[in-house]
Amino acid sequence: MNVQGLQMTQNTPSPGAFKRNPPIVGEAEAIEAAKNGDAQAFSKLYALHKRRVYTLCLRMLGNVSEAEDMTQEAFLHLFRKIGSFRGESAFSTWLHRLTVNLVLMNLRKKGLNLVSLEETINPSEEDAPKRDFGGRDLQLTGSVDRVALERAVASLPPGYRMVFVLHDVEGYEHNEIATMLECSTGNSKSQLHKARLKLRELLRNPEQSAQPSGINEVAV
Amino acid sequence: MTNSKLPDFDSMTPADFERYLPELFEHGSGRVSTDPRIQSFLRKNPVCAALVRDLETIAETAKSLLEPAYEPSEAVWDEIEKKLKKK
Repeated sequence: MNVQGLQMTQNTPSPGAFKRNPPIVGEAEAIEAAKNGDAQAFSKLYALHKRRVYTLCLRMLGNVSEAEDMTQEAFLHLFRKIGSFRGESAFSTWLHRLTVNLVLMNLRKKGLNLVSLEETINPSEEDAPKRDFGGRDLQLTGSVDRVALERAVASLPPGYRMVFVLHDVEGYEHNEIATMLECSTGNSKSQLHKARLKLRELLRNPEQSAQPSGINEVAV
Repeated sequence: MTNSKLPDFDSMTPADFERYLPELFEHGSGRVSTDPRIQSFLRKNPVCAALVRDLETIAETAKSLLEPAYEPSEAVWDEIEKKLKKK
């Protein structure tokens, strides 16, 4: 895979990055060994992080086959680049950034260049949240079932889903998302709001949500 | 999307509120429901209050999705291993 232009910089970790991604027992040793070409150590890193990387790919892409391909690419890329990991951020944060960049680059290669990616961020009117703001007060019951939310996220238009996953799930800031998606921070904020509105609509009308086929959920 | 100038909270209409809601979320540490500036407005506009509570619930529940929920098939590692051996 052509990875030219892929950003692999280690920015200063945002507050809470280590809190959200605490070090895993045995991970540091595996990283050091993998840097020296230890295949078993790399296998261990895969075992430790495969679910999170795959889940991220699946949420961003909404497609099992593409998510598996990108998981494979992410770990192959990790193998090539692990020597440049300096530990300035949590390893999982670094790996996630690498994965997000790969997924976005892949989307661009498939024709979603800067302009069309912007269009992806702005779905059609049909997909946009309905303007029933002053209508019936169908409040959610104060809690949202995790599985129901997962299903609703999978039903979001790609652009909404991307911003929602990056901000509300992965914890990226709007300025970081704007850089990654090459859009404005205002656009990122606006799309996040629309994504949440659309999710509210989907959660109040669960029959509109659909689980992507072929997903194997595991107990957490 | 509006700029970051916020409206007069005393004379704000539900439509104004909706327009400025993304900014309110962004500048209120994500907790609009406890923002003292709009408590009076929310009391008078239960539909807006319900919207805020729902959006906060969605954002809060989203954090739980950080935990990985899905497992790639065995074929993914098999393929990685195969490609690594070729290098």
